[in-house]
Amino acid sequence: MEFTRILKRLDYILLLAVLLLVGIGIMLIGSATHVNVVADDRYWYVGRQMTFAALNLVFMFFCLRFDYRVLEDLSTKLYIFNLLMLVAVMVFGQTALGAQRWIQLGPISIQPSEFSKIIMIIALAAFLNKRLDHLESFWDWVPVFGYVFVPFILVMKQPDLGTSLVFLAILFGLMVLCGFKKKYFMRLIGVGVVSAPLLWTMLQEYQKMRLKVFLDPGLEPQGAGYHVIQSMIAIGSGELVGKGLFAGTQSQLNFLPENHTDFIFAVAGEEFGFIGTTFILLLYLLIIYRGINIAMDATDNFGTLLAVGIVSMFVFHVLVNVGMTAGIMPVTGVPLPFLSYGVSSLTTNMILTGLLLNIEVRQQKLSFM
Amino acid sequence: MLNKKYAYRLEILMIASILTIMILIGRMAYLQLYEGEYYYRLSEGNRVRSVNIRAPRGIIFDANGEALVKNDPGFAVSLLRTDKKPDRAVLEKLAQIIEVPIETILEKIEKKADSYEPVLLKSNLTPKMVTMLEEGYKELPGVLVEPQAVRTYANNELAVHVLGYVGEISEYEMSKKPEQELKVGSIVGKFGLERFYDNVLRGKDGSYREEVDVAGRVVQTLEQIPPVPGQGLVLTIDANLQREVEKITDEHLAYLRSIGFAPNASAAAVIALDPRNGEVKALVSRPAFNPNLFVNGISSKDWQIINDNPFDPMSDKVIAGEYPPGSTFKIVTGAAALETGKVTPEELIFDAGKHWLIPMENAGGEALGWINFHRALAVSDNVYFYEMGNRIGIDILKRYSAMFGLGRPTGIDLFGENEGIIASPEYKMKVFNEDWYLGDTFNAAIGQGFNLATPLQIALMFSAVANNGDVYRPHLVKEIVNDDGSVAKVLQPEKIGRLEISAKTLDLLQKGLEAVAQEGGTGAQMANLAVPVAGKTGTAENPHGKDHGLFAGYAPANNASLVIVVVVPQGGYGSVSAAPIVKRIFEYAFPSAKVSTENIK
Repeated sequence: MEFTRILKRLDYILLLAVLLLVGIGIMLIGSATHVNVVADDRYWYVGRQMTFAALNLVFMFFCLRFDYRVLEDLSTKLYIFNLLMLVAVMVFGQTALGAQRWIQLGPISIQPSEFSKIIMIIALAAFLNKRLDHLESFWDWVPVFGYVFVPFILVMKQPDLGTSLVFLAILFGLMVLCGFKKKYFMRLIGVGVVSAPLLWTMLQEYQKMRLKVFLDPGLEPQGAGYHVIQSMIAIGSGELVGKGLFAGTQSQLNFLPENHTDFIFAVAGEEFGFIGTTFILLLYLLIIYRGINIAMDATDNFGTLLAVGIVSMFVFHVLVNVGMTAGIMPVTGVPLPFLSYGVSSLTTNMILTGLLLNIEVRQQKLSFM
Repeated sequence: MLNKKYAYRLEILMIASILTIMILIGRMAYLQLYEGEYYYRLSEGNRVRSVNIRAPRGIIFDANGEALVKNDPGFAVSLLRTDKKPDRAVLEKLAQIIEVPIETILEKIEKKADSYEPVLLKSNLTPKMVTMLEEGYKELPGVLVEPQAVRTYANNELAVHVLGYVGEISEYEMSKKPEQELKVGSIVGKFGLERFYDNVLRGKDGSYREEVDVAGRVVQTLEQIPPVPGQGLVLTIDANLQREVEKITDEHLAYLRSIGFAPNASAAAVIALDPRNGEVKALVSRPAFNPNLFVNGISSKDWQIINDNPFDPMSDKVIAGEYPPGSTFKIVTGAAALETGKVTPEELIFDAGKHWLIPMENAGGEALGWINFHRALAVSDNVYFYEMGNRIGIDILKRYSAMFGLGRPTGIDLFGENEGIIASPEYKMKVFNEDWYLGDTFNAAIGQGFNLATPLQIALMFSAVANNGDVYRPHLVKEIVNDDGSVAKVLQPEKIGRLEISAKTLDLLQKGLEAVAQEGGTGAQMANLAVPVAGKTGTAENPHGKDHGLFAGYAPANNASLVIVVVVPQGGYGSVSAAPIVKRIFEYAFPSAKVSTENIK
């Protein structure tokens, strides 16, 4: 496809929203990592995030030359590659914060579970696409569940509860789309409730603590509850207009931990206030809205399935991450798309954006114009 | 096509997404708008550490510049506030070292629960406590030992009823003065001048606020409010005279007890003031106590000793003790009779040992025959003054009592002054529901019966006579001085009244009082001092024990610069229990004629 035609059909609203978020993210990362304080390495995080944002943008446009439909044929191979990658993490992975999530590849350490989100969306979309006509009864869905279950367990074992739940969120979105019956949902919820004690035993100690603290934040104000309390103080203290960039005392004086990664939204809340948080959340809504529009515009079911999978993942990430910083969701290591510092996460989200753009660009009806 | 056939499913996803974002925006509105101020305060609490700087309390000097009350260096221990609940084990160890019950510590922490300021737990630590705290600092996180001035009463008991003492503010006191922003742990005056002039002496605490990071490192100092030091007081009290008066009083009380004359003579009230301006030169109340015991909260043992003393060391008997004025009151009766013309100075009245209307006798039962006013006053003849009471009646006596300042507080700069009682039919009816009889008037005429006066009121009575009628408000402070020693305010003598009697009557009173202190008078022991003395003995009946002994006098008699009143409760005859004290004070104050003339100037 010609590059000019691609540019003509590009969903600029979606692209603009994503670039705005990435830009805001870079500002917040700068604030959270104290670029305003003179130090030798003060631009390190901002520099990396900007570099990868630029590389990802170029990569995104490069990929627009290919039709996304080729992914459907590659899906099985990707799925197997994913499993191998996750096993590799378990074997060779590096431990950080009690979890094996990283693989060192030359100068960069990557988080395979981030990329496995992309693969899961593609693989599950392709898997469902083949079975679209045979998804009537509950038993028709059992192979689908099994398909998700294997990588789910592997990620959970890392342990990375956040990412494994992302898989379930993607599955959930696609189940709604494919007409999974309401009574079956009820049945699943029943199974979930019954098996909850079993799931509880599968959790790591720190994960259990996080859940307990979520139910009672005062439980350990200096321990597990500290993050959430400080995060809520940061957000709340921003009030209407915020304290201003670089002026958030909670983040500048390090009362807020992990403030450039998982708790970046608290920095936004403190420094930009309610106006800032609302603006950011509305940008996410815009991305979701465009994503669902793209799913509607798609002329092939694979495109619709892909778009819904991507949108489901974004919604889940935003809900869980923002909810966590605001004290209405338990602490799970789920980054905020486009805003959180993290090369793997940023790359994943920009590739998924690229996929959405690709689906929109490839629709026939526009080619007649 | 999936999306065409089931578009509504995509709409469901859209609606669910919109709801999700709306919930999050709603949560933001709650945190940032509804609860924003609360979280802002919490973030300030994280960031800002506020430390109180206690203002140095004003120094109290005597009239000659001797510092009677000052601030000595000491150490105080506080507990820093954190989000964390203080560790019980740490508090227990701390409680043990500073010898404060853990309940008291927990209570103090609880009281300041909503503040981020350190909680003061104990001031004036002993050197041993400081050493133990410094050695154990690793096991005592958050415990802060800081230098802090300690109020010190340089001469212990000296003038304690004048100076008073300080202590930590009580909740009640805090609620009484909400406008002064007093905090838990503030030191305020509790008694004496420390309490009366608390607002002058206290100054205003300062503070500094600094920004700290999560590790507690100071990032910057935000604001520093220097403390405003309290202002000092220069007293009218002469510490040397005070010291001497206390010594004389204690020695004489011990003497009275030792000879078995007055075994219960443990209390006394002595006031020495300048009648020309109301300056109190010495004020002694016995028994006394050591104010230094109170500075850090008195121990229960020490408190029990003070509290169990039947003679009540905590009461200032000069201003709060109420005694029948006894024969010292005869100047009031005499002035009333002379002024109203009910008697002339020359008129002789026959003393047959008892009055002819009611058989009320002289104190010793003696009969002096024909006597005039002058002699009656000098020998303190009761029959003569019964007759004066009989002639003038209780209403006129009441009026003259008030004119001499009885029945109302003098307005001295101390709290807790009593007003005494002027004998009157109304009072008797109100309190005892009984009619007034002539015998009551007789009793009133010689200062007995229902009459009650504080030693200070008696001193003002005699000041009026000594100073030819002009009465000044008794006061203890003559100057308020700044921290640097400069004078901030001079408290001018305040004339509060004038004895409206003729010069002739005044002269008769003065001459009569002078005769008291001469050969043949009841105060003849003062006849040969370096300066002429005027005065009056008094012996007041005490239904609960031995009579109270009184002496009120002034010197030099012709131009008084010092009025002295001594009351020795349960001391017996005034001439034995009280007059010798007055005599020795005059001996000290006027060692020779030469010095006395200087003093007069």
